[in-house]
Amino acid sequence: MTSGVAAAARDVLIVDYKTNRPPPAEAGGVVVAVGDASVGYGRRVVLRGLDGVVRGGELVALVGPNGAGKTTLIRALVGLAPVLAGAVTVLGGTPAAARRRIGYVPQADTLDADFPVSAGQVVLMGRYRAVGWLRRPGRADRAIAARALEAVGLADRARDRFGTLSGGQRQRVLLARAIAQQPDLLLLDEPFSGVDAASQRALLDALAGQRAAGAAVLMATHDLAFASTACNVVWLLNGRQYAFGPPAAALTAATLGATFPGAVLTVGGSLVVGR
Amino acid sequence: MIAPFALPFMARALAEAVLLGALAGVVGVFVLLRRLAFVAEALSHAVFPGVVVGYLAAGAGGVGYGALAAAALATVLLTLRARLSEDTALAVLMGAFFAVGVILVSRRPSYTADLTTFLFGRILTVDAADLARTAVLAGVALGTLALLGKELLLAAFDRPAAAALGYRTAALDAVLNVLVAVVVVAAVQAVGTVLSVGLLVVPAAAARLLTDRLALLIAVSAGSAALAGWLGLALAWTASVDHGVPLAAGGTIVAVLVAWYAAARLLTLAVR
Repeated sequence: MTSGVAAAARDVLIVDYKTNRPPPAEAGGVVVAVGDASVGYGRRVVLRGLDGVVRGGELVALVGPNGAGKTTLIRALVGLAPVLAGAVTVLGGTPAAARRRIGYVPQADTLDADFPVSAGQVVLMGRYRAVGWLRRPGRADRAIAARALEAVGLADRARDRFGTLSGGQRQRVLLARAIAQQPDLLLLDEPFSGVDAASQRALLDALAGQRAAGAAVLMATHDLAFASTACNVVWLLNGRQYAFGPPAAALTAATLGATFPGAVLTVGGSLVVGR
Repeated sequence: MIAPFALPFMARALAEAVLLGALAGVVGVFVLLRRLAFVAEALSHAVFPGVVVGYLAAGAGGVGYGALAAAALATVLLTLRARLSEDTALAVLMGAFFAVGVILVSRRPSYTADLTTFLFGRILTVDAADLARTAVLAGVALGTLALLGKELLLAAFDRPAAAALGYRTAALDAVLNVLVAVVVVAAVQAVGTVLSVGLLVVPAAAARLLTDRLALLIAVSAGSAALAGWLGLALAWTASVDHGVPLAAGGTIVAVLVAWYAAARLLTLAVR
């Protein structure tokens, strides 16, 4: 009897009563598909030769020197920088069409620390799109926002003003805002720059929770050690794509030398990348 | 402090001042958050030629409509500014509109008296129709903020994230510009084009010194601006009638607000 109910339940498409959409992409489903794409601004191509498939549950490191185009790729994946050639598909459609399901996390230090909003209010902003125009966030939205803040370990700081938190805590609040969107794709721009170890751990724990729930995570980072040990996929970029794949395959002397020209040394059999 | 308001024209002035204060105090918070004080300044100057044209065409009753037309034109120009940076566009707009207004008003025989009225307002001559217009404008502006407040807040706090969520940030900017124009138009008859900026910027700035909480910020800003309207009128009356020191009502209201700002600043310095 019980197994009969379970079997029947598997055949039912469960729709989230709040967002009115099917449950998130299963782990392993294609979230981002990029085919021979160029992205940039106006007629200026910033990145060319982009090719790769990112699946639900994966953690992808976007690695390259400053000005390599990492931020442009993130902007293109959320529909804010145009795809100039080739195809970029996010969650089965155009990036702009997928926006509600994409959590974008900017660098915390780009935001005004004087702005009079609490951490809780910032997280609630992640619900605005689901709430819709002309309406206020309801009890369910507040509950989702509270859970998101809990996921980054800051449940007790909801009433604190955003600007009074440390840089790392602010970054966690911004991740919580993206998590409150209940996204299937998370895009983070250098989330670890200027972030202390405790906050870095909290960010990674929260991201692990999102990946377990089926979301794909793309993260621009300078940290090659992190990219090679913690990520499933490394995307090497500098004006074009130099590698896309598992760290062991993507991070070679040849690809790193091309991505960071003049900054790669071989020391005692190990690769060292300078800045 | 209450007696003067038994006179009908003072009662109307009080209603106008309180209404304007509450309206400007609330919109002013969003001006502060979005850092639009200079836009407010430019729009208030841009409204000037509209006021003059309205007055020349239809007398005192035309002032509001002239202001409305000029504000609409300025807001459209501001939104369309092609390749200029925002401050450059504003400075061009401000200079151009103000020059047109001065040229127009200087052709009048009663040049100085007219100019003073347009620049600094005449709150004591507000009639029932003016009051009704202010109430409608306040209703429209506050209703808009009640409906779009959360989107405007997000766009002011984190513009890239708002864009990433699919909001048209330029359209949200235009909404706020229009709201600023609405306040300036509403305030023009009472406190003039120049002082309307003070009404818009000072209460929110003072409230920001006193609180970090958004809801409280809006309440304190609106409440203090409305109170300043009453206090300014009462002071101007007392000084002029009881002590023979003529004080312009509109100017006194803004002066009260500035004194309030100074007090708030001193308080924050003392607390620290």
